[in-house]
Amino acid sequence: MIATLARRSRRAVSNSRTGISAVTLGIPASLIVVLAIATPHFFLSLQNLTNLVNQMTTLLIVALGQLLVAIVAGLDLSVGSVISVTTCIVSSDLSPALSIPLAFALGAFVGLVNGYGIVGFGIHPIIMTLSTMTFLQGLAYLIRAVPGGTIPPVLTTLASGATLGVPHALVWSAIAFFAVAALLYRTRFGLHLFAVGGQPESARLGGVPARRVAISAYVLCSVLAVFAGLFVAARTASGDPAVGVSFGLDSVTAIALGGAQLSGGVGSALGALTGTLSLALVSNGLNLLDVSAFLQSALKGVLLIVAICAQRRTAVGL
Amino acid sequence: MATTAAGTAIEARALCKSFGPTKAVADVSLAVRAGSVHAVTGENGAGKSTLMKLLAGVERPDSGELLVRGERASFANPRDALVRGVSTVFQEFTLLPNLTVAENLYLGREPLARGALDARKMTADASAVLERVGLAVSPDRLASRLTIPQQQLVEIAKGVSADASVFIFDEPTATLNNAEVDTLGALIDDLRSRGKAILYISHRLEEIFRFCDTVTVLKDGRLVTTVPTATLCETDLVTLMVGRPVHDLFPPRSTIAPAVALDVRKLVPGPGRPEVSFALHAGEILGIAGLEGQGQREILRSLTGVVKPESSDIEKRDANGNATRLDPRHGPTAAVVAGIGFVPEDRKTEGLYLDLTIYDNVALGRLKALPLFSLAPRVATFVEAIAARMKLRAESIKQNVGSLSGGNQQKVMLARWFAAGVDVLAIEQPTRGVDVGAKAEIYGLLREFANEGGSVIVASSELTEIIGLCDRVLVVRGGRFVAEMRGADATEEGLLEHALDALEREPAVT
Amino acid sequence: MIAAERRKPAARFSLATVLAAARRLPPAYYGTLVLLVAAAVFRPVLLSSGLFLAIVQQSAPLGTVAIAQSLVMRCRSIDLSIGGIFVGADFIATSGYFAAWPAYAVIGICLLFGLAIGTINAILVTFVRASAVIVTLAMSIVLVGIVVSVSYFAQPGEVPETLKNIGSGYAFGVPISVLVWIAVAVPTSFVLARTVFGKYVAAVGANPSAAALSGIPYLRVIFVAHVACALLATIGGLLLAGFVGMGATNLGQDLVLNSIAAVILGGINFGGGSGGTLGPIVAAFMLTFLFNFLNSFGLGEPAKYMMQGGVIAIAALMYSLGRRVA
Repeated sequence: MIATLARRSRRAVSNSRTGISAVTLGIPASLIVVLAIATPHFFLSLQNLTNLVNQMTTLLIVALGQLLVAIVAGLDLSVGSVISVTTCIVSSDLSPALSIPLAFALGAFVGLVNGYGIVGFGIHPIIMTLSTMTFLQGLAYLIRAVPGGTIPPVLTTLASGATLGVPHALVWSAIAFFAVAALLYRTRFGLHLFAVGGQPESARLGGVPARRVAISAYVLCSVLAVFAGLFVAARTASGDPAVGVSFGLDSVTAIALGGAQLSGGVGSALGALTGTLSLALVSNGLNLLDVSAFLQSALKGVLLIVAICAQRRTAVGL
Repeated sequence: MATTAAGTAIEARALCKSFGPTKAVADVSLAVRAGSVHAVTGENGAGKSTLMKLLAGVERPDSGELLVRGERASFANPRDALVRGVSTVFQEFTLLPNLTVAENLYLGREPLARGALDARKMTADASAVLERVGLAVSPDRLASRLTIPQQQLVEIAKGVSADASVFIFDEPTATLNNAEVDTLGALIDDLRSRGKAILYISHRLEEIFRFCDTVTVLKDGRLVTTVPTATLCETDLVTLMVGRPVHDLFPPRSTIAPAVALDVRKLVPGPGRPEVSFALHAGEILGIAGLEGQGQREILRSLTGVVKPESSDIEKRDANGNATRLDPRHGPTAAVVAGIGFVPEDRKTEGLYLDLTIYDNVALGRLKALPLFSLAPRVATFVEAIAARMKLRAESIKQNVGSLSGGNQQKVMLARWFAAGVDVLAIEQPTRGVDVGAKAEIYGLLREFANEGGSVIVASSELTEIIGLCDRVLVVRGGRFVAEMRGADATEEGLLEHALDALEREPAVT
Repeated sequence: MIAAERRKPAARFSLATVLAAARRLPPAYYGTLVLLVAAAVFRPVLLSSGLFLAIVQQSAPLGTVAIAQSLVMRCRSIDLSIGGIFVGADFIATSGYFAAWPAYAVIGICLLFGLAIGTINAILVTFVRASAVIVTLAMSIVLVGIVVSVSYFAQPGEVPETLKNIGSGYAFGVPISVLVWIAVAVPTSFVLARTVFGKYVAAVGANPSAAALSGIPYLRVIFVAHVACALLATIGGLLLAGFVGMGATNLGQDLVLNSIAAVILGGINFGGGSGGTLGPIVAAFMLTFLFNFLNSFGLGEPAKYMMQGGVIAIAALMYSLGRRVA
């Protein structure tokens, strides 16, 4: 099965740089069919679908950021800690007029540090973002040792609830998705991201400010993670220093399932969406089966391994 | 204000560039007229490529100035140079594999419509430009799916699309076969007739005489002379380049014993590839000649297990005539254990351990066939001896290989296999990026290896090398051997005739 | 003798050569020196023989894991599954399922477990060619998830006496765990420096494709490195379990990152570097000492995380700056 997956995804890659293939679309489609047939009343209920969208939104926003970094052949494991820190900041006693800009400023700064460390100093992305991840985890505990605090009502209103029957979560998902898609396909910056991911030195020779583009990808990724953090804080109505832990790997899983190549230059917003959807559907299905959260995380780990194994590459190691 | 002779498209004045203590380019001046082809030549390390990089905007000069159409210019990067009318076709193409042809053409200067990328205009413009250079591919095709000559045409199209007045070609024929060189020649003629200035950087004498009006010779980063090519003959030019006359590059051939060292039967290098069979004799240097991409690389690489062949029936015989079967599908390890060493074309990425010392690089050869957890023998004196024999120019064997010149790096590659005691060497492009002096030494080493009973298979795109070095030549076309000739009888024309015969050529240049 | 000129006189003992040599030393050496001086000034009690030895003992698990991690990092790979291996091995040792077995058998089972995980990692990394970062990190999550789920049925309990003794006992006035650490370090160092495998590791790290093309069994080298890494890391995990004394489902999770920090601080980076086996060992001691030093100032958990992150970043930065200068 892995071999077939691999062959298919390889073919998709040689044809385009989207990484979209029958598999990336087929996994969520077949999961939907299976769930709809197995539990028609539950899965297709408005309640569950709303739930699904809510579950997806955070991961989708993070995955879209992770995608930008993956396209420039990077990896950002610090997104989870950025989310945690963001929830801790906005749940503090600061006024939202101060705490929200502060969270964004911190996110942008983290992205800059990651970007400069990786692009400017040639530190391996994993090492660099592991170190910021750890640092920010500490910062999150420093700000808020245990979950709690209150979230500004403005955030809660924006994140939950619905307008004209459309849940706000869906609106945010759509905004994030179309913004990143437009960035990737309708701007020079988007094309330059792919160029840098394809071959940074050639891109530089071609007049693409390769370093600036790559650093921007890290900054955007962190800023998107702040967005995700705001959303999480609003949904859970509290700050939690450990709430983001799983998002680093989950976002990588999502984009890998969506056909993005971690070696750079290949990936798509649609793939990030289908990958996120697949993960959310798996969680949804496992919830229906009453599988414990820990076992779910184990299963997601297995899924990540399968998704990564399906990506054929020539390099061995990192 | 600078004054420039009328018609000068680009001019360099007293350019200097140093890397650390080495002066790569020192006080070099040259002027290229519009409507002319100007060659820059010299041995490896003479400063050709640094000069090219200064003109192309890859590097910035330490001092001196650059004038484009009489105006002072300084380029931030090659795209900047392109906007100013200086287009460069680099030896290693700079096309991005995951971008389409159109995107590659307009990278860094993409057309915008109301702030957004105007993909339609980009495609339409690209189609027009591709037509002008005579490349019949869709602008929406990914660059990774182009052949090498097609990629080169796209590079040239970049310059044409920017309406450049100066075209710099950096060793443009290094990756082309002879027919493709002809089409390139036609394209250069076309550019010249349209009043473009062309700077042609190459160390291939034949092409310099064929394409160029003027030649500038560099040596050790300094200008030797600039003269019209018509006033020179090849020997003059070589003397100018080397600073001394070169006598014979190639060692004398020897007589070959009839003993077969490697009997290759029914080798199918890859899926859908034709089957080949040939024999390699003890003491023989066998050349595999042909146009680029006719399967030489696959034959050599599948024979040595670097890529897995579909099927094969290979027998390797040692000096005593004992035969062993070799299945290259077991990978390079099996080939090495059987006594076959492979020297890849790209030393730096596929051959050498640049961060390790000469000692480590060579001593690794001594470890073959030893069990993983046995003691590694200490072989310093052995490595010293082999280095001395090969006239390796280094301060000590503790020096990192990355700091050596191309020729000495190639010697380290060979030294590793000599140390391993292999008796068959399969070599791709044995002297690519090696200067004239070291070339002769490497040919000598290969001949010496053959004279001691070893056998060598050489795949090279340099016909002079194939003819001068090899005892016997196999011509490959479409993955099949179509002719066999003795090296002593082979001529460039003869080889080409077979290599080209009835070959369907892709439409490339009008 | 090498051909051509030998103009250079034999290396003289000059400031320049000393400085050049010093620059190649792993950052951990300087860090340790600075730290010891700082301790002597601010917290001399840390240098008292009893406490000092206790810190060395405390370094043993990290030190062992750092040696393990250095094996794969030399081959341009990484093992982030160590956290999962710790938790798994700890669970095996403390859950009571094997309570009736002799302690050494239990230790043996733990080692087999490590070997098995290492083998799976190795297969995925070498044969499937999956990214080692992702695969081993996912492996860790899988293992922790399974252990936490299973521990609803069998709570982790006491660590067997023998293991406790190894982790926290003394023999001949030396902590037993330090002896184990040395017993891991010496053969590893020998294998890397003197055997064919060690030479191959250097070659694979320096240029994997060259290694492949020249017939070095590079997949086997990386395979062995991964298996050995997991096995040695299990030993480190058992030392830690013995030191802590009680089973836990979050045992030693910080050792994963610290081991990477120790390897980089020890002068080794992905694909080689200048540090021998001693580099990561000194670095492991340095990090452990650093955390003790910080604890003595009453810095808590958050500061420890931030310190870890900072140290990794600084070590990586020093390495990359060092490469740029050289």
